[in-house]
Amino acid sequence: MNVLTRLTSSAAVAAIMALSPLSALAADITIAIGSEPSTLDPQVRDDGGERAINDNVYETLMARTPDGELIAGLAAAAPTPVDAKTWEFKLRPNIKFHNGEAFNADAVVNSVKRVIDPALKSEQAAYFGTITGAEKVDDLTVRIITSGPDPILPSRMYWMKMIPATYAADAKFAEAPVGTGPYKFTSWNRGQDIVLEKNADYWGDAASIDKVTYRFVGESGTRLSGLMAGELDVITNLLPEFAQQAPKFAAVSGLETSLMIVSTDNEVTKDPRVREAMNISVDRKALAESLFGGYATPAKGQVVNPKAFGYNKSLPDYVFDVDKARALIKEAGAEGKTIKLVGEAGRWLKDRELIEAVGAYWKDAGLNVDIKIEDFGEYLNQLFDKNTRPDAIFLSNSNELLDVDREMTAVLQSKASSASNSDQEMSDQISAARTETDIEKRQAMYDAITKKAYDLSYLVPLLNQQDIYGFSKRLEWQPRVDSKLLVKEMKITE
Amino acid sequence: MAIPMPVTTPVATARNAAQRPTLLSRLDEFGRELWQDKLGTLGFAVIVALLLMAILAPLLAPYDPAAQSVISRLKPPAWLPKGSWEHILGTDHLGRDVLSRVIYGARASLLVGVLVVLFAGSFGVVLGLWAGFRGGRTDSIIMRIVDVQVAFPGLLLILLVISVIGPSMATMIIVLVVTNWMVYARVVRGIVLSVRQTPYVEAAEMIGCKTSRVIFRHILPNLTSPLLTLGILEFTNIVLAEAALSFLGLGVQPPATSWGLDVANGRDYIFVAWWLITFPGLSIATTVLAVNLFASWVRVTTDPQEREKRFAYQRAKLAARRARRSPQAQSSEAKSQGGRS
Amino acid sequence: MGGFLLRRIGQGLLVVIGVTVIVFIATRMVGDPVKVMLPLSATDAQRAAFAQQIGLDRPIATQFVDFVSDMARLDFGDSLWQRRPALDVVLERLPNTLKLIGAGLGLAILLSLPLGAIAALRPGGWVDRTTVFVGLFGLSLPQFWFGLLMIVFFAVTLGWLPTSGMGGARYYILPAITLALPSLARLVMLVRSSMIDELNQQYVRTARAKGLHFKRVVMVHAMRNTLVPFVTLAGWELISALAGYTVVVETVFAWPGLGLTAMQAIQKSDLFLLQAIVFTVAVLIVVINVGLDVIYKLIDPRIRLA
Repeated sequence: MNVLTRLTSSAAVAAIMALSPLSALAADITIAIGSEPSTLDPQVRDDGGERAINDNVYETLMARTPDGELIAGLAAAAPTPVDAKTWEFKLRPNIKFHNGEAFNADAVVNSVKRVIDPALKSEQAAYFGTITGAEKVDDLTVRIITSGPDPILPSRMYWMKMIPATYAADAKFAEAPVGTGPYKFTSWNRGQDIVLEKNADYWGDAASIDKVTYRFVGESGTRLSGLMAGELDVITNLLPEFAQQAPKFAAVSGLETSLMIVSTDNEVTKDPRVREAMNISVDRKALAESLFGGYATPAKGQVVNPKAFGYNKSLPDYVFDVDKARALIKEAGAEGKTIKLVGEAGRWLKDRELIEAVGAYWKDAGLNVDIKIEDFGEYLNQLFDKNTRPDAIFLSNSNELLDVDREMTAVLQSKASSASNSDQEMSDQISAARTETDIEKRQAMYDAITKKAYDLSYLVPLLNQQDIYGFSKRLEWQPRVDSKLLVKEMKITE
Repeated sequence: MAIPMPVTTPVATARNAAQRPTLLSRLDEFGRELWQDKLGTLGFAVIVALLLMAILAPLLAPYDPAAQSVISRLKPPAWLPKGSWEHILGTDHLGRDVLSRVIYGARASLLVGVLVVLFAGSFGVVLGLWAGFRGGRTDSIIMRIVDVQVAFPGLLLILLVISVIGPSMATMIIVLVVTNWMVYARVVRGIVLSVRQTPYVEAAEMIGCKTSRVIFRHILPNLTSPLLTLGILEFTNIVLAEAALSFLGLGVQPPATSWGLDVANGRDYIFVAWWLITFPGLSIATTVLAVNLFASWVRVTTDPQEREKRFAYQRAKLAARRARRSPQAQSSEAKSQGGRS
Repeated sequence: MGGFLLRRIGQGLLVVIGVTVIVFIATRMVGDPVKVMLPLSATDAQRAAFAQQIGLDRPIATQFVDFVSDMARLDFGDSLWQRRPALDVVLERLPNTLKLIGAGLGLAILLSLPLGAIAALRPGGWVDRTTVFVGLFGLSLPQFWFGLLMIVFFAVTLGWLPTSGMGGARYYILPAITLALPSLARLVMLVRSSMIDELNQQYVRTARAKGLHFKRVVMVHAMRNTLVPFVTLAGWELISALAGYTVVVETVFAWPGLGLTAMQAIQKSDLFLLQAIVFTVAVLIVVINVGLDVIYKLIDPRIRLA
């Protein structure tokens, strides 16, 4: 188990806690989320606040263990491919939605059809791009049809929440969600809180917490205040500096990996030696320690999330060697040449700091680095510009589906969203791997691609960040690799 | 607040003015009069110190305010355990020296404050003079614009415009100028209208004095003291507005420094590093308080009516004390009062 | 009075038109809502579809005509962030802001009258000097800073009050005090100085000479004449609070009012929501202004409303 959990407490914090009124009952907890959901419709937005709540109300056909392994959820077992474009799911029997509607093939078909319907304009559509439809075989058997061979479909189904067939058409659906999950919706006091309570008829293991209140607190300082004052039991995105301050905390390897996308066509950076120098001149360990207080892991030769399918286990660590980097730059005749490093500030944890630190390392290796911190709109312009690529651009890539395809499309496949290379061969390899349904073959294909990207230094992967959670003293929980806040896994100890 | 006695009566001032006093004697008079109001003096001293700090920032600041140092992050102030005299007020989450940032932060506050008051003031004064003088249609159009703009949802509109144009110091200054000129126009127009009705200005206009001469010779002198007070008070508003906008992320942008911005940055760290918000916050409060103290002295000193009142209170106080005290104490009291004036 | 009201309402219309034009120009210059609103993984086709959906692909003139006619029908469009009519969001959050202003301004008004009056009784006395100094102090503290310090002290260290958010009465205390602080300072100073003036007036001296009890003179006569400037300033405080001065307090205390919503709308580039907020507030201010004029008339019939 790679989950790193450290618990801490201090006398001062205990004193503070003792002074604060513990108004809630033992099995009621309060969780702070960064922003209020704009809707509780589980299929429309791609929004962390909505997910934090609906992950407890709704369930999906596939699920994951806290460590990220894909397992069956509402499906009775992993799906079986019927042909290249069809997957068959068997469903668990006797499951009911909170309003009494049965969970069956109709519910699944409705869920699939609704989320891919262009009229819904779902922001989640990108996760389900390959799905063209679903058909009912019998009450507990469903087939999902894709536009081409899609090996990631099981992972995709882990992202698609199952909604009731009838109630989903109700006008109240977006405000009063009804799922099959361990918690059911109680109230939504707009601007203030959302309350869920335990679903006594839950089909799986019974949850131990009776009631959970979600409060919306945008500022991380304010969230920490609430935790310290004993008003909150769980807060997310705890800054590394505060880990020791919180009554309790836990860190777990997260979904985000930061990197620099280096252009392979630009004047200075087209030389692989320069790009290699850019990779080995960065002391990732020092960055992880100093900027993230140790709550980040240096990327191992690739940008692929270590928990994701397709992670190349054979790639080595980048060895920090500034002398060799200087030599390579000199050899390539790039000494003192200017490269433009584009970044933004404020979107991701410590982004500006990280960008500036990497820029300083490159300077140290002999390049002249022009750091441009753009406002987010301009940054996106440059990130998505298909024609002119900046020499280097910062990105923090998040892999929700835990499948390597995300990294491939985002930063490696030429002309895909934000890659900076023009390697047609690699682009074809990626396309081929995307439709390969044989798991081992697919892994091998990706290994070849990531190896090539490593050898030619198409990217400068930086750090795999850990998510840090702060808890109240009474709460016990093992945070998940997929960042989901599943209340059924939490416990209260008084 | 110590209530000073006027050093000179209005009549005396008028006589002095006729003699065209030298700059030095004016300064001397200013100094002696200010000294009577201890809090006003304190305020003035702080303002001078802040101005020096802002101007001499590169000489005074021990470090580059933007220089980050990953090794020395969140160091406490020198007098705390773990603190060191290398960073007297400690360092922030990026290892930047708090003292240097506080010193440089004065620049943003003062620069924005001074420029906005200057530009908004000039614009407002010109429009106010124009409206007051031309009267009729011009007056009613200008004043209608003032009325309408005053009724705008000011700060919300500022937020909207800044978020659209993109936050920067220049944007902030422009937006604050555009939203803060109205009060000057109103005040100036009011004074112009009332002064024009005084016999001497009517006479001057009647004998054919040029408008410009009337304005410069007769009207502007009447404007100086209310405008001075207004400008100083507006300055405090602008300093607070700059801090608030920077705090909201819509004002000064990093890597530049501003006290408001630093409070916002330090906000996430209030539990591990209280000094991050404390010192910039204190700096804003001190600046505004100093200016306010000075302003209340200026207001009382430049307004003949207020001076009258000030004089009256002093007399009343004296009388009250006399009434309460025994006859022996009275004479010494009177002496000490006399000595103070 | 009818003619006067009509004129004021006409002026209010000018305000609304002015705000319309400014908001339109401003929001149509926004960087690019399409890019900022959609997730990083959105495809080009999705982006184009989104631009078309919210009408950003049409010529500016067409957009303006639609804009004005929408405003006239109180249709501000759907909030991009909330995906429901922007006006609904505004009307849902407005009461929270009004409650906060009510608590804060109420506190300031209730405290300022006695404090100012007591200070004015003996100008130059220690009570007076303390009041003036504390008042100046209140005017000088940046609200966001004062609010943060109060959170640290009263909510975290002492654990007496909630750190943020909205709920029962306890949730109001810190934000209301923070909001009240500068208004209280200004109101106290005003009550003090106008009471001092009033107490120096001939009629007060006469009343006292006639043997009227001093307290009664203060309470009935001087206070009454202080009311006009007091209502003017209190009205101004109300308007400036509405005009956005709650933004800072709401941000610091995560108070779910219009100010916080405006900041969130800015972060999400939700121009429809932002413009709905600005409009509603502009209209509200116009209404309050007219209301205040009527109040003056009631307090002091000598005032000619022209």
